[in-house]
This record gives sequence, C-alpha cells and structure tokens, in this order.
Amino acid sequence: MKSEAEALIELISSARGARKPSLANRETEEVLNIALATLIELAVANDRIDRLERLVAQLRGEDVSALRDITYEGDVAEERQQATDGLLMRAMRIMLDPREEAVTEKAAD
Amino acid sequence: MKVRDVQHAVLPQTTVEERSRQGAVVALRRLLNAKVRPRNVEIYDSEAAPAFAERHGRRPQSEEEIREAFLMAPSYRLWSAANRSAQEMIWVSVGQPIYRDLDRMEAVTEELMHSPARRGSLTLDPSYDPSPEVADVDIHLQPGGYGMDRGENDVVAGALYELGGNVFSFGQGIGRGDSKAGVILRLLEEAFTGFKPARMLDIGCSAGAASAAYAAHWPDVEVHALDLGAGMLRYAHARAESLGVAVHFHQMDASSLTFEDDSFDLVVSHNLMHEIGEEKRQAMIRESFRVVRPGGVVIHQDVAIRNPPTLVHQVERDWDTHWNGEVHWATYATADLKADMIAAGFPADTVIEHDLAALSGMMNNRWYAISGRKPGQDNNG
Repeated sequence: MKSEAEALIELISSARGARKPSLANRETEEVLNIALATLIELAVANDRIDRLERLVAQLRGEDVSALRDITYEGDVAEERQQATDGLLMRAMRIMLDPREEAVTEKAAD
Repeated sequence: MKVRDVQHAVLPQTTVEERSRQGAVVALRRLLNAKVRPRNVEIYDSEAAPAFAERHGRRPQSEEEIREAFLMAPSYRLWSAANRSAQEMIWVSVGQPIYRDLDRMEAVTEELMHSPARRGSLTLDPSYDPSPEVADVDIHLQPGGYGMDRGENDVVAGALYELGGNVFSFGQGIGRGDSKAGVILRLLEEAFTGFKPARMLDIGCSAGAASAAYAAHWPDVEVHALDLGAGMLRYAHARAESLGVAVHFHQMDASSLTFEDDSFDLVVSHNLMHEIGEEKRQAMIRESFRVVRPGGVVIHQDVAIRNPPTLVHQVERDWDTHWNGEVHWATYATADLKADMIAAGFPADTVIEHDLAALSGMMNNRWYAISGRKPGQDNNG
C-alpha cells in the first residue's frame, strides 16, 4: 500500500491540460488554492475533535453538550488565550511584516 | 438499485479522515453552488457589464464580450477560482484513497473478472485507440481522463469516475437516492406503457452504475454497455460482478458500433451527449437508430442545461467549457437535438424532449432526455 504522499503525487502527476487562472495572476490563485485546501483540512480536524468529544462524553456517561459546555477561568483560560493569540499572530504575520516591497526584475519590466 | 454511494468490493477502503475530507469538499462545493454562484448573474449587472462599458463605451453584445465582461468582475473571478479549486479538490479527496489502496483494488478486480461465477462479461478491443476528442481531455478535470489505461488490471479511471461523481453530485445537491437509470425507468413506465425490452444497450456507460441498475431492475433482460476506456470498463465489469448483476461490457466507440442492425429493443445513453462533439454525437444518434429494432425505443438522457433564459445565463452556465474540462458543454447546450434525431431516421412525431424531475435531492434538480421510436411492426415490449 502506498503512503498518502506517494498516492497524492501519483494522482497529481496524472493531470493533463492547461490550467488558466481566474484571478489576476497565477500566484494569487495558487495561494487561494492552498488556503482552501487548508480550510478543508481544518474541517477534517474539527470532525476528529468532534469524534473525540463524543467518545469522552460517552466514557464519562454524560451528554456531549455538557462536555462542550466547560468554560475555563484563571490560568487555564489565560493559557488558552495565549495559544489563540499565537495562532492568530502566525496567520497575521504578513500584515505586520516591516519590509517594503522590493521591485523585482519582472515587475520593473 | 440505488446507483450512488453503492458499497461493493472494488471501492477503495477509505479512512475516516478521507471520508471526512470528501464530506468537507462536498460541503464547500454545495455552498459555492447554492450560495455564491447564484450571485453571478447579479454580479454581471452590477460589476461586469459596467466595467466592460467603461472600457469599450458600450454594453457587451456577443457571448465572447459577455465572457470578457464576467472576467472583469473581481467577485466572479473569485468564485471561478474557488470553484475550480473545489473541483480539483474532489479529485484529491477521492484520488488519494484510490491510489493508496490500488494494489488491493486491482487484485479484487482480477479475481472478479476471472471468477467462474461471473454473470456478465468484458470485451476489450486492444486495436481500438480511444477517441482523442474524449480521451485526450481531463473531462471535469478527472486526472488522466476517461480513457486512461495503466495496464492489465487497472481500474483507476472507473474508480475516480464513480467516487468523484458521487462527491460532485452531492455537491450539486443531487440526492444519494437519485438515479439516472431510475429516471428513465420512470419515463418508460409513464410514456411507453407496457414496453419492456428483452435486450438493451447503454452507450457511454462509464463506471457502469446505470447499466448495473438496469440489470438489477430487469434481471431477465440482456444488458449490454459500452465505453471507450479499458480502465473504466474493467472497473464497471468488476463492480457489476461484485453487485451480482449481469452486464456485458464492450470497449467501443459510441459513433461506430459493431452490433448488428435492429439488435436491441432499448438503447439509452446517460450524460454522454455533453462529452462528445457535434459530429460524434450525430453519428452516435444514427448508430442508436441503426441498432434498435423496429418498434424499439431510444432515449438519450443528459444534464438539464439547455434553454437558459438569457445569453448572460448561457455564458455563466458555460463556465464548465472553459474552466472544467467540459469542452463540449456549450455544443451540447445549444444543439438542435430534435433535428439530430430526425436526421438519424426517427419519425418526427416520435421524437420527444423530456424535462424530468430527479428521483431525489433538491427540488430544482432536473434531467433532460430526448426519446424516439424506430418505425416498425411492434410497438410493444
């Protein structure tokens, strides 16, 4: 049996024909594709979390909504907040990048 | 027999994550179709046509100008890019388990194809070079296309077709209980009361879902089916055998059948016309007339994209021609199929176009079909 990556490479390399972008340029469209693929993976991860929550609720003999209704306060809440801030900062990095746009040879043409 | 989401031995064994991923792509496609795409015609009026007018000093007139105008609208371009991406992710979501599990699938296929208990048959034609107008295109971006054949027990094209088709259809809002064969069986009951074939042909059967459904519905009917790709047909054959139904599959060009004249009572095609060009479509319809017996029925069913209300709607619908590998989409949508049927020999008074409700799914899901009856002595089954 092939690994996931091997299977994907075999699939991707079998595609034929030209791929014209809909957006103004190819780079933008490729980034959109990566973002949408990441969105799909987030849905997959959410499904996995949901399964685990339901399993834990079952093991605890309680309704899953009760398990999800846990609200943390104090140190745990602070720890979660910092983790969320960290995640958002990683996603927002490009908005804060201090470097100016360099004029590339291509752009200068 | 339902035809979508049917469990059989040739399907890849998927992990829970892979099924989750397929479900997420279905959801993305459904939202893009149901919530974002309907805005395109409004966007044409609010963004596209004004942008065109600003550049050219007049409103768009022709199909080409309307298409140019659409592409001037950022909202349309974003939908188009996202829709293309979602379509490509269908193939990622189904292709990963297929290629991962392919060794097992091919072993199962070999076993089913050579089982002494098999009910149907598979006749491949090694001398046939699949028609390039179909085989050379990655139709609806299916990697490798319908004609792909990777060797002795290869089934990738068929597996991609069936699994991708399921993900695509659910994303369009087509229900799991829908069946193109079921729609035609209902049409036969309603419009050809008492007609029942002894021998039927399914032209352009792809992964054989409809062919197997006919065989399950009519166990005593001799069902033949054809398509152009060996990988597609091996899968269709093994799938039918796994389901325990008898279908005789043939590798053949839809426009040049090797069957005798007057040799079938019923000839059908499902979603074939939009995958082939005008000449091949007309030849296919002529062949369907030739091989059906006098008094026999021919029904060609396809997607309900014909007769859009305006040229703007037509160009919007034509997205698939330019971005989704459906190179004959517009050719089919604008064809005079009644004229094709009459030119093939069907008497004009037997040629009827049908607007058919799907068996299940969203209320607005429709299928198109055109039927004709060969003149002859016996109009009964």
